[in-house]
Amino acid sequence: MGVRRYTKMAYKDPDDMVFGHAKFPVLEHWNVQFGAGYVVPEVKVAPEAGTERSKDTLVKEMASIAEQAAARAVDIGLPAFMLEQEHVFQQTYHPDWGYACTLAQAEVLKKYYDEYGVRACLRQTVGDLRIEEKGGLRGSEYDNRIAETIEECCKAGASDIAAETMGGKSVLDYGVMRGDIKAILFGIGYLGSVDMEYFWTRAVNICSKYDTRPAGDTNCSGANTCMYVAGGLLGKDMSHTAAALARAISAARSLVAVECGATGPLKDCGYENTIIKAITGVPICQEGKNAVCAHADVMGNLTCQVVDCWSNESVFHREEMGGPTPAVWLQATGYEAALMNTAIQTGNAKTLRDLYTFTDMYRDPQGTLLAYPNAFRVGKAIVEYGKDIYLRARAAALEASKIMMEAYEAKLLQLTRFELDTLRKYTSILESLPMEAEIFVDQCMREYPRKIPTFDPKSYGL
Amino acid sequence: MALLDWAKKADFDMMFKRYNVIIEGPAIKPEDDPDVKKVLPKEEPFRTLAMAVIFGDTEKAVQAAKTALERTSPLDVIEKGLAKGMDAVSALYAKGAYFLPDIMLSADAMTAAMAVAEQKLGRAREKKGTVVSFVAEGDPHDIGKNLVVMFLKANGFEAVDLGRDVPDKEVIEAVKKYKPVMLTGTALMTTTMTAFPRVAKALQEQGISVPVFGCGGGAVKRDFVESYDMGVYGVKAFHAPKLAEAALAGKSWKEIRKEYPKIVGEFVAEYADRM
Repeated sequence: MGVRRYTKMAYKDPDDMVFGHAKFPVLEHWNVQFGAGYVVPEVKVAPEAGTERSKDTLVKEMASIAEQAAARAVDIGLPAFMLEQEHVFQQTYHPDWGYACTLAQAEVLKKYYDEYGVRACLRQTVGDLRIEEKGGLRGSEYDNRIAETIEECCKAGASDIAAETMGGKSVLDYGVMRGDIKAILFGIGYLGSVDMEYFWTRAVNICSKYDTRPAGDTNCSGANTCMYVAGGLLGKDMSHTAAALARAISAARSLVAVECGATGPLKDCGYENTIIKAITGVPICQEGKNAVCAHADVMGNLTCQVVDCWSNESVFHREEMGGPTPAVWLQATGYEAALMNTAIQTGNAKTLRDLYTFTDMYRDPQGTLLAYPNAFRVGKAIVEYGKDIYLRARAAALEASKIMMEAYEAKLLQLTRFELDTLRKYTSILESLPMEAEIFVDQCMREYPRKIPTFDPKSYGL
Repeated sequence: MALLDWAKKADFDMMFKRYNVIIEGPAIKPEDDPDVKKVLPKEEPFRTLAMAVIFGDTEKAVQAAKTALERTSPLDVIEKGLAKGMDAVSALYAKGAYFLPDIMLSADAMTAAMAVAEQKLGRAREKKGTVVSFVAEGDPHDIGKNLVVMFLKANGFEAVDLGRDVPDKEVIEAVKKYKPVMLTGTALMTTTMTAFPRVAKALQEQGISVPVFGCGGGAVKRDFVESYDMGVYGVKAFHAPKLAEAALAGKSWKEIRKEYPKIVGEFVAEYADRM
């Protein structure tokens, strides 16, 4: 399958977007649908440190995580849930470990499905082990092992495959640390998109041979790094307006997975997913308030607005007062999904959606950008230049800038001097960038390879 | 759309507060900040050198260094000018007036100007001490380590950067070779951070002692780091030079654990029980 660039929006009106509904629902075994009129809760738990010492201990750990989650799903009456396993290094590096771990979890979920009828699905998120300065992103030992592991997970019964690929990260990190928006645009928007096409063309081909959906890929290593570095309101490391610009750029990049054939539900930690749903109509996973176990964001409710699968973020596998973490955190996401499903069933979905959105819409510029009417605007800016991966990323950032400035001038969004100065400065730089991808890439290639020793242009065909 | 109506009617103060906006004082020039005044040299050419670093202006810093070197010793250019500028930048960062990109640009300016001074000197300036930094095996996330290395270099330490996804063996070999005053390890994931106790144990088994083994990163927490000898949980990257200085001053890892907030000179929530 070739790459199909989006030049039109799947949704014509942002008001048509609501949680639990997607234009193109996805069915996964065991009988879980995403975007088909209900929200599915998701849980993911990182294996206890030390269990990665052998295949046997890791497999047992995986089975235990699945068992504890499934048992709690039944205990509190959840109709459906997703179990996601984000791979640890060993799980992807050794394809046979990936197979055995997936199989162990699939067997547990199938057992509960057969016994109680609880609909469950199993996401395997492979680790992106590739390192530019260690063999590059294409055809290295690490790269080949990822492909093998995807196939083994499919064979073993994964319902879908997701990833958080790292393309462009070396340049992005440089941009974050030096406040260089051109590097951020080049790292996420251009290099990230190029690598996504390489990675997802292959992943889609592998999944197509099995009953496994190629789900999608978030810019965890890029836009989430920015969000994480920006931190809370008192953070001293990155302006929140800059983090919002990086998020808008990341939508143009994460879209590539869908253009290569990924079906969704898109992976949860992509806060850019609302934009991609507006463009493509595929269902999305999201995290927010139930990701507090891993990080603090400033839009914990807003991300529920158009979600189809509501998730926590990775948490240690251990005992809490309320039970083991797979059970506790599935309970937390399960009740949030139940609230959304109740709203759908009682005709209150749009009211609840707007409450979620409004709670955080002006708490922070990142929330302003991602509020669904504004996310929709960014989507429109992307599809206007849909065929050009550079121009659409630039357009996304410029539209994001316009959205934040409008909210600021309307006195709805408050900004610090640092946030406002950064926004103005970055906007002016973005506006001054060339309108031809070739010239932009040429400019970047004159600058960044000499400044960033870990940047490997060959990994991007440059 | 309900959102538009709500935006007109709602009292946002009852929903959230942007404390960063509320606490923001009036804009002042960096050189007028009271903490900067304390460290900023008054006499020339040192003031110009320091100001170029404060503004992160590489070109100006290099030019100022070249001009200053006509009449001033290279060591004075570095110690009385450039380093003072960096001290001012650290003060501005600590109080939230400067941000990470400001520090990086200042560090770049200082590094470039220092290279000019060192060329005249004929050797590298004597460093405070050597620190070895690595990212755990299997972990490609290195932004934290890069920050640690930058802060160490800007504060006069020799930082040996082993890179990311570094096998334990390579870490041990580097410790043997460089005999650092501090070793730093970073990891994002729970399953890669297990490299830290393995490295600590291997060092002990080979009879090698490192004054401090600073460990931090995404999933790394204090209780984990304090479960093995030598480990000190590093909360922020910019704490690294202060921990290294404490080790240089002869403090043991046990003392550094105990006195962490005092050593870094600020409230640290993760060490609230040791304030």
